[in-house]
Amino acid sequence: MRSSFLWRNRVLMTSAALLIVSLHLISTGVHPGDLAARPESAFLEIISPVDAAFTRLSDGASSIVTGYLDLLHVREENARLRNELARVKSDRARLAELEVENRHLGELLDLKDVLGANAVAANVIGSDATGLSRTLVLASGSSAGLRPGMAVLANQGVVGKIIAVSPHASRVLLIDDHNSALDGFDQRSRARGIVAGLVDDGLILKYADRSQDIRIGDTIVTSGLDGIFPRGLLVGTIKSVHHGGPGLFLGVRIEPTVDFRQLEQVLIVTQPPPHLDDQAKD
Amino acid sequence: MRLILLFAAFVVLGLAFQSAVPHLISFRALIPNLIIILVVDLGLRHHGVLPAMLAFAIGYATDALAGAHPGLNAFMMTMVFLVSYEISTRLMVTNALVGASVVFFGVIATALATVAFADGFNALADTGSMLGGLTLEAAVSALVAPLIFSMLAASKRMTGLPVRAMRE
Repeated sequence: MRSSFLWRNRVLMTSAALLIVSLHLISTGVHPGDLAARPESAFLEIISPVDAAFTRLSDGASSIVTGYLDLLHVREENARLRNELARVKSDRARLAELEVENRHLGELLDLKDVLGANAVAANVIGSDATGLSRTLVLASGSSAGLRPGMAVLANQGVVGKIIAVSPHASRVLLIDDHNSALDGFDQRSRARGIVAGLVDDGLILKYADRSQDIRIGDTIVTSGLDGIFPRGLLVGTIKSVHHGGPGLFLGVRIEPTVDFRQLEQVLIVTQPPPHLDDQAKD
Repeated sequence: MRLILLFAAFVVLGLAFQSAVPHLISFRALIPNLIIILVVDLGLRHHGVLPAMLAFAIGYATDALAGAHPGLNAFMMTMVFLVSYEISTRLMVTNALVGASVVFFGVIATALATVAFADGFNALADTGSMLGGLTLEAAVSALVAPLIFSMLAASKRMTGLPVRAMRE
């Protein structure tokens, strides 16, 4: 038994079978409700609390380091003054943090008012674990009414869309990921195109016809025609327009309005405004 | 079972670390790829069907927190395990230096393969600007690898698991 071909090559055989399973998953995709989506959802659910704890821990460590660096300047002073200063600084930092958080939440509330009541706020607790894709992890999931395909926004503009959910966590594909695409147009000239991410970081407007009037500094907004993002939301501004080169289309680079690295809270559109359905049918 | 629990704990911590730390460090390339290090350790030091399945599961767990194509990281981690396993069966010695070398090339190869898989081989032409950061990430991962291998070895000793693979 142990000298048989199958036994001697059991690791290779198992690996080959697993590679085939992986390729099947990649080619067919994993859809919500699929059997293959359950382990992914379970992993997301298990890892997200640890992820959130790590985020809090790293923020705390960062505060301690910053506090320590600040305290180096007052080393000569006596212990009472140092402690008092530390306490005051700590309180001030906490108040400043609360102020920033309040401002963020206030801006999100304003955006929520604009969108109507069909939106949910969520905290960002992590980013893509490999760095090869541009995704975020949110601390809200299906228990808060989130589903894959929902639009994710910040007060500055469009962030991305939800691609996976577990009961208490979800993942967002950012608009600057190379697998992302959304329908947008130039607010000044009404020139349309598909906003897509690049492999080497960045955002472009694809399929913008050479005859169209697109200039540096123009604002790109969502058209609402993709049925995911409400119409008229900020995407970015035109950074460069390349007229040369082969092909039918312009080479247009976009600077996103949202700084994805600074995101702490986002808003998820749980139900698109009614007019979107009408537009999508046109 | 002990092997599964041990690696599960390391994977959860590794994934949480890789997901949370980019918020603090603006230069992503300085964050080591701990998951590849774990899979390389599996391939070099654990020969069997269970470690192969564990490598696949680690990849699928990574898919839950990375990328937009479920199954892609599972494929890559299974490949990394397979290469590590093949190397370990052909070399007389599989020390930390060998492990670090496999980690270095593993990080670069999996990143490029991920781009090629997700966007087609034409997309590799756009990876020029990525290569610098990718090489740095691979180097940082390779430097950190011996430390992680030591931590794994110590954890294995504590749980009564074999630290090295039985020669086949």
